[in-house]
Amino acid sequence: MLRSAGLWHFCRRLGAARVPAENLGRREVTSGVSPRGGSSSRALNIFDRDLKRKQKNWAAQQPEPTKFDYLKEEVGSRIADRVYDIPRDFPLALDLGCGRGYIAQYLNKETIGKFFQADIAENALKNSLETEIPTVSVLVDEEFLPFRENTFDLVVSSLSLHWVNDLPRALEQIHYILKPDGVFIGAMFGGDTLYELRCSLQLAETEREGGFSPHVSPFTAVSDLGHLLGRAGFNTLTVDTDEIQVNYPGMFELMEDLQGMGESNCSWNRKALLHRNTMLAAAAVYREMYRNEDGSVPATYQIYYMIGWKYHESQARPARRGSATVSFGELGKINMPEEEKSQ
Amino acid sequence: MSANGAVWGRVRSRLRAFPERLAACGAEAAAYGRCVQASTAPGGRLSKDLCAREFQALRSCFAAAVGGGCSELRSHHCTPAWATE
Repeated sequence: MLRSAGLWHFCRRLGAARVPAENLGRREVTSGVSPRGGSSSRALNIFDRDLKRKQKNWAAQQPEPTKFDYLKEEVGSRIADRVYDIPRDFPLALDLGCGRGYIAQYLNKETIGKFFQADIAENALKNSLETEIPTVSVLVDEEFLPFRENTFDLVVSSLSLHWVNDLPRALEQIHYILKPDGVFIGAMFGGDTLYELRCSLQLAETEREGGFSPHVSPFTAVSDLGHLLGRAGFNTLTVDTDEIQVNYPGMFELMEDLQGMGESNCSWNRKALLHRNTMLAAAAVYREMYRNEDGSVPATYQIYYMIGWKYHESQARPARRGSATVSFGELGKINMPEEEKSQ
Repeated sequence: MSANGAVWGRVRSRLRAFPERLAACGAEAAAYGRCVQASTAPGGRLSKDLCAREFQALRSCFAAAVGGGCSELRSHHCTPAWATE
């Protein structure tokens, strides 16, 4: 296994030299993506990215990092399946928000020539998992990609885009760095994820404190995902959804595991303190409302998998209107032998 | 974070004992849970302290619960990995 000797640190301002002069006055972001539809002027700032980096660094340097990896391993293997489904090999690939490299361990060097592992947390890159593909580790924020246009044949991203502030821009940047006929395969948490936890905390906080504040971060809806990918310029979109249900002994164990995965809340509007009474009440409500027969409580993770292609002339396009040669009425006759069709 | 690391350590160790103590108060927790769940039915309305009585019962049971031994039901969770340091 070949690894580069060290980590490449990309400063956020590195790309400034490449930004055309007329763009400098309009925005402060520094990658070379030209603004489409003014998305940067509506950029949201929901998540504290600095805190997320600290949380991921903390999670990656725990004594037993594999204990909390089960979800990311599972989703990583499903993304690797989707990569294998494409009958092509990819000389240069990028894993955005790779963590400890959960996707790379399932792929082989015939499919991927060289793999860039990009993450915001350097401890995760330092403790990465074994893989036979030559990798280069890069410290990169998903919202500010320092790569040139038309660089990568494949970009994968597993369970890290749900912490991105400006998702439309991030998807546009991914589209930008892909080569024509390149593909983006991503997985992110969807709307129903952890709804049991969200509801229990909401009910308990309302009953105990008279109001509630959000404790589970907002997730994208599946319909929005299609629009976002289309707006970013991707073709031939595929979005499918998967639900993974994990059983825990109780709510506290679930929260401990979420913290160990590096998925603690980092939104700016989070409440700094969760009262012990509220936690106790929420655990009781969770158990009563959602428990299984054997006493454990389930937590639902809804994962959206998306596949988008960058346009290339060789790709199939919808046919021109009016160019049909058969009508729908003849559909029923497709499997009939020839002499019956002519009747 | 390192400046109040000692405080944080104490808080976390107290939190780790929560699940065992909660398990010892299954009946009170279930009563409280049922009360809150009943308010989510159509026509119900959840307001502050709607289930205060059930919660007080749960709290006193919780405070009295000893975090030491493990009950039979949770024997397979007796030494959860996350509780050992």
